Amino acid sequence: MLKIKDLKKVYGTTTVVNIPELTIEKGDSIGLIGNNGAGKTTLFRMILDLIRPEKGEVLSNDMNVADFEKWKDYTASYLDEGFLIDYLTPEEYFHFIGGLHDQNKAQVDETLSGLSEFFNGEILNKGKYIRDLSKGNQCKVGVASCLLQNPQLLMLDEPFANIDPTTQIRLKGILKELNREKQVTLIVSSHDLNHVTEVCQRILLMEKGKIIKDMQTDSNTLKELEEYFSVL
Amino acid sequence: MTITFFVHQWKAFWRSKNTGKSIALRVLMAVFLLYLLANLLFLSFFLDKILAGTFPDRDVITSFNSVLLYYFLFDLVIRYQMQELPTMSVQPYLHLPIKRNKIVNYLSVISLFSAFTISPFILSLPFLIKVLLPQQGAVALIAILISILGLNTFNHFFILWLKRKENLNAWFMLLFLIAMAGIGLYDFYWQGQSLSHYSSLLYCAILLSPWYAAGHLLLGITMYFINYQYLRGNLYLEELYTNSSSKISSTEFPLVNRFGKVGDLAALELKLIFRNKRPKSTVMKGLLFIFYGLIFYTNPQVASNPMGLVFCPLFMMGAFIITYGQFMFGWQSSHFDGILINKIDSNDFFKAKFLLFSLFSTASFLLTIPYVYFGWKILLMHFIMYLWNLGISTLIVLFFANNNYKRIDLSKKGSFNWEGVGASQWLLGIPFFLVPFMIYFPFKWMGYENAGISALAIIGLIGILTRNFWLALLVKKFNKKRYQIAEGFRNE
Repeated sequence: MLKIKDLKKVYGTTTVVNIPELTIEKGDSIGLIGNNGAGKTTLFRMILDLIRPEKGEVLSNDMNVADFEKWKDYTASYLDEGFLIDYLTPEEYFHFIGGLHDQNKAQVDETLSGLSEFFNGEILNKGKYIRDLSKGNQCKVGVASCLLQNPQLLMLDEPFANIDPTTQIRLKGILKELNREKQVTLIVSSHDLNHVTEVCQRILLMEKGKIIKDMQTDSNTLKELEEYFSVL
Repeated sequence: MTITFFVHQWKAFWRSKNTGKSIALRVLMAVFLLYLLANLLFLSFFLDKILAGTFPDRDVITSFNSVLLYYFLFDLVIRYQMQELPTMSVQPYLHLPIKRNKIVNYLSVISLFSAFTISPFILSLPFLIKVLLPQQGAVALIAILISILGLNTFNHFFILWLKRKENLNAWFMLLFLIAMAGIGLYDFYWQGQSLSHYSSLLYCAILLSPWYAAGHLLLGITMYFINYQYLRGNLYLEELYTNSSSKISSTEFPLVNRFGKVGDLAALELKLIFRNKRPKSTVMKGLLFIFYGLIFYTNPQVASNPMGLVFCPLFMMGAFIITYGQFMFGWQSSHFDGILINKIDSNDFFKAKFLLFSLFSTASFLLTIPYVYFGWKILLMHFIMYLWNLGISTLIVLFFANNNYKRIDLSKKGSFNWEGVGASQWLLGIPFFLVPFMIYFPFKWMGYENAGISALAIIGLIGILTRNFWLALLVKKFNKKRYQIAEGFRNE
């Protein structure tokens, strides 16, 4: 699904991302962890072709993301509020995103009605612009707009950070189901080790721009990770 | 504490992403301000001559007295348009052990640092020293100055108070506008008892008994406290920054819907314009330019010279393109990442801009048809410059948009907002205004004016017909520049 070759990003004198080689297979569910400044968001942005790497390339289905735009057909992502068009109402935004994937309003509304439990009555028909929603509810809008696109690759940057416990549990359920039932490739970052180890089968641990651990999740993973972070 | 606030503000200004980057811009701003100041000083030094010329049958001081109240009335209207509420975001201070009085005091004091505060003094002081001091003495001078200080302070805090009230209740705005219009009409229809009459009565009285001026000062101080009390009682976040709580429903633009994905993108940008403060006021101001014709066409001599023939239609037809287009794509800076990662074709992205430009230029063209009253040639020129704007100006503006990396906060006010202004905006004006003249003038000098006009029309038309070629070039450049643009727009 994704191949990263010799990827490097430098700001001034500090190297923020330096990944010689990384392959992500279709159907993988990846948990990306690491302390602040480890380079998680920068990596996300390079995979999404938002910043230009100094060196190396990201191949999505064997096509360089910087040269082809095909990846946009099957990749959905939510990194931060900068992805949302904040002067729209959530409904308008969903219809807009759906329209980009040639879905008409009825189709979008149908998908949304399936998400009513996830929204918990906080998003639809509230008569508010996205900019007037709380951070947690904005995150819900971002995640829902991803689900709407029926992606094969789904990337979320710290989706659990601002949402309430109920939504966290529901989101974990949705992600696991997408991965299991539809073989959607997931890349999710989080600071909460419990969440990632629960959702993801493969954990990538970043430190100072490098991936220093790449492991399959098992019963010892959480303990191992906790040990790593406590001695750091 | 006031000093600490001031230091924070100072840092906030200089460290914000948009200021301090380009020295050229700072120099230009300084030159512009100095120029304005020089104008005021010039006006002030020759005020006695101007007054003597305007009212030859009265003595200068009486005329000065008679216009003073007009000044303050005018000041009130201009302030209402331009003056901004003090912008320090108080949010980071409200929960700290800082007395409310201090915050409110700071907000009041800092708001006084504006051109409005000093301009009446610059405008009157040289005149007063030159004319009034020798005739009436120092006491009279001080009395007049105190009165100016009082009324100026009153205007200042009255407008602040009014604007805050108006945020919560739009009736205040209506009342104010009706009152202003009422005074204007009254003055116009009953000239015998007009404002100038009251103005001279008032100020002649002050010259005779200077302590009357204290009344004006009292008025100013009272207004300060009214504003102070109001602000102090309402220093809650939700009340300072009101979002209208009325329920918002979705809007549709059937006109652009038929254009498919391009239409969707254009509809998105129309919503951007109508739902955000700064783009809305920018576009509204752009639409005001359709009254340009009233200045140019009413004078037959101007109407037939190049300014009237080429410049005025160029500006009226292209008002939206230049005023709104100059900040592209900065308007979309807050969600530019979202545009890049979503399935939006760069071609469609640019085509939507063309659609938007066409929409507004067509509206300008239709709205200015009544100018045909001043002659058919004007309508013809409107049409030709309409073609020109669609064919050429759009390309110029979008070319510069690819070089604009300045973020814009949509929720801020429009006037005197320098955010998002960079070298690109200054440079853009040069080709936008010069190129049409460069094509038109050579023909005109050789005596073939009509050929010059035809050349403009033909080039405009060629621009429209070959648009896809230029579009491909713009998209290619955009794809190269998008990382840089996105980085400039990101707010971190």
